[in-house]
Amino acid sequence: MPDEELRIGVFVCECGRNIAGTVDVETVRRYAESLPGVVTSQVNRYTCSDPGQAQIRKAIAEHKLNRVVIAACSPSLHQPTFRACLRQAGLNQYLLEMANIREQVAWVHMREPDAATYKAQETVKMAVARARYLRPEQEMEVPVTKAALVIGGGIAGIQAALDLADAGHKVYLVEKEPSIGGKMAMLDKTFPTMDCSI
Amino acid sequence: MMDAGRHPNIELMTYTEIENITGYVGNFHVTVRRKARFVDESECTACGDCVPVCPVIRPNEFEMGLSTRRAIYIPFPQAVPAAYLINIDECLGDVPIACGKCLEACDKKCIDFDMKDRIERFEVGAIIVATGLDVFDPTGLDEYGYTRYPNVITSLEFERLISAGGPTEGHFIRPSDRKQPKRIGFIQCVGSRTEISPDGPNPDGSRGHPYCSNICCMNTVKDSLLLKDHYPDTEITVFYMDIRAFGKGFEDLYRSSKEKGVRYVRGLPGKIREDPTTHNLLVTVENTTAGRLETHELDMVVLSVGFVPPEDGHIKKLLTLSNTSDGFLLEAHPKLRPVDAPAKGVFFAGCVESPKDIKDSVTQASAAAARAQRLLNKDRVSVEAITAWVDHDLCTACGICVKVCPYGAITADPKQKIKAVVTEASCAGCGACAAECPQDAIVMRNFTDLQIMAQVEAALAENPEEKTLVFACNWCSYAGADLAGVSRLQYPANTRVVRTMCSGRVDEDFVWRAFELGAAMVLVSGCHFGDCHYMTANHHTQKRVDKMWDRMERWGIRPERLQLEWISAAEGQKFARVMREIEEMRRQVTREEIEETKAIIAKRWRKRRK
Amino acid sequence: MATAGAGKQARFKCLRCGYEYTDVYAPDRERTCPKCRSNSVRRLRK
Ligand code: SF4
Ligand SMILES: [Zn+2]
Repeated sequence: MPDEELRIGVFVCECGRNIAGTVDVETVRRYAESLPGVVTSQVNRYTCSDPGQAQIRKAIAEHKLNRVVIAACSPSLHQPTFRACLRQAGLNQYLLEMANIREQVAWVHMREPDAATYKAQETVKMAVARARYLRPEQEMEVPVTKAALVIGGGIAGIQAALDLADAGHKVYLVEKEPSIGGKMAMLDKTFPTMDCSI
Repeated sequence: MMDAGRHPNIELMTYTEIENITGYVGNFHVTVRRKARFVDESECTACGDCVPVCPVIRPNEFEMGLSTRRAIYIPFPQAVPAAYLINIDECLGDVPIACGKCLEACDKKCIDFDMKDRIERFEVGAIIVATGLDVFDPTGLDEYGYTRYPNVITSLEFERLISAGGPTEGHFIRPSDRKQPKRIGFIQCVGSRTEISPDGPNPDGSRGHPYCSNICCMNTVKDSLLLKDHYPDTEITVFYMDIRAFGKGFEDLYRSSKEKGVRYVRGLPGKIREDPTTHNLLVTVENTTAGRLETHELDMVVLSVGFVPPEDGHIKKLLTLSNTSDGFLLEAHPKLRPVDAPAKGVFFAGCVESPKDIKDSVTQASAAAARAQRLLNKDRVSVEAITAWVDHDLCTACGICVKVCPYGAITADPKQKIKAVVTEASCAGCGACAAECPQDAIVMRNFTDLQIMAQVEAALAENPEEKTLVFACNWCSYAGADLAGVSRLQYPANTRVVRTMCSGRVDEDFVWRAFELGAAMVLVSGCHFGDCHYMTANHHTQKRVDKMWDRMERWGIRPERLQLEWISAAEGQKFARVMREIEEMRRQVTREEIEETKAIIAKRWRKRRK
Repeated sequence: MATAGAGKQARFKCLRCGYEYTDVYAPDRERTCPKCRSNSVRRLRK
């Protein structure tokens, strides 16, 4: 069951004209305000910018938010950004949910602004519905083995191995042929300097 | 090369195959097979005394078969490690009656016929994939006569012929009569910038690939300069579509090549014929600058061949990497994370990601090393909290989850009634177990049943009969949908997407609930087989959807209402097309049909739930 | 998971375009409709 004291904040991003050029963000903002558990709904010009993030942190403090929904771009782009923003505001980063209204709404329904706006509203509704059931999660920490494997002993593999080794890390350089050198070793001279390849 | 061979921090493992890689960021377990060289690598001084006595003569691969080597050989003079090896399949054998001559010839006694492949295991925190590329084989382009005409060679063969260390010691000769050619032609874009289409002349890519191989233009410019340096009176003609001399210092080289008298003819030859007596080549080309058909008589033609992605499906599978449509590896983000693999702790360097020249390969390799160091310099890294845990109040110890987990991360014992336990460090969070658990006893953190059901219900609360509900996996199909957006591909706006980490997470219950709420169409989408970021978790998706189709038919629901697609992160086009096709199908679904489905599900599924 | 019928001939039906065909059933290979390239290909059971 959702928490009794759900306090959800919704932040709708204009992304300049990227979202606002197709989606009526004010309609989406107002709609979000009407959803159960939502205590504040705000529009940002660029949510990922410093002022955008500051606005979220401020709202978290002001409205004592315990869930944050950001309607903006794909989570694959800025979920890490906004998770960091929640952490800075003292909120567990898993209390964030993103509604993808750019890559999967504004940019793919450019000729149907009304349908796009409706889809954006529903995408926010889905995100808010999911946010109600989000829980703070603790990440497990694992140790890092201080060594690297480089697969392939051509020019790229050799360079990567040398850089890592010079930086003090143990490197296993694995090459399937009997010698390193790869294709490069077969070249006589190399451009643009016209010098020897080996 | 030498530096890598003697760096105290580098353990060089040549003639070594990757057998297996398991684990996760910061903690990969690597198993390699160190193939037997039959010559002790640390003892061999590369004196070469063994070579003259070996009776087996084979084409030298490094010299593109332009010279020979023995069964005991060193790949090339500057090889690292500087040690010989025996190709045991070619060797006649060590028993005196068969051969064994090299054993006697080696004073240091470094030859050991009892050597066996050795399996070694080690641990690493980061992996850099630098498996390079392969060269396009122009044999499929019959009109150029490669392999039929001795004086048609590839650009890589050219390198060996002009190299002072090569088979001719740098005397540039043509294969048919070992004379120095006076008139040389270069043909550009061989195997590059060629359309592949199922009903065109190139259905399978044997005539080439659509992408530009990036370095062949400059390589030819360089080759023309080398020739002009060594043999100033050589007549050189380059046949090209465009000369792409875009890098630093490149235009200067191109200009200097033209100044030295190299002719550049805009137009790719349609055909090469050979004069059977002289073995000279007659090249017919439409010179598109002059607007006329020309025939050039040449002594030798060099095919400036492009590149193809390496054959390393095994490593791709072990590291759950995918490719872009050109066959090269797909990066985590094309602009912002160009050297990171989508899988954490794995990075790319060099041509395995796309064809590039030496400078770009080195640049990318340094970038990959820096990205890897960011990780290696930390003592600990955190793992996203999306792993599974088992509610022991619900678990009946049936053990189904143990069988579906691709990582072997779950233990349970149905016989002893020992309930399921998840090893968190091994769990990658695909959720196949949660989808299969008949008791709903498995909770996926951050992707719980409750959370996903809430999304499904919200999506279908209004006008469900007008909607298509899409389940998209995080790594491939959701990323493919994002790419459709980035590419501004338009598709119907009645789609509602629910993101899961893997298509294997899509529980039957989610689909039945969607139909119960009146959804017209449901699409389950995931990574292509072999691309799944959770190894084979998407095979369970296929099986589950098969099961659901059978069930729908039994229940009297049209199976067509549930669709399945494998869409990669590079297939934005496919995502948009599929959404348009499904919309066509959705229009055929009547309200009566939806009402009927709702009633059937309410009866059948609800009953099963009790 | 045991998969019955692997390696044997089976009937398949594309649930996108309706095309039906016979092919070897290989559970670890993805199915693609030879006509419309959809992956919504159902293995029919008798
Ligand atoms: S499948 Fe479910 S019920 Fe069976 S052992 Fe695993 S968790 Fe328990
Ligand atoms: Zn079809």
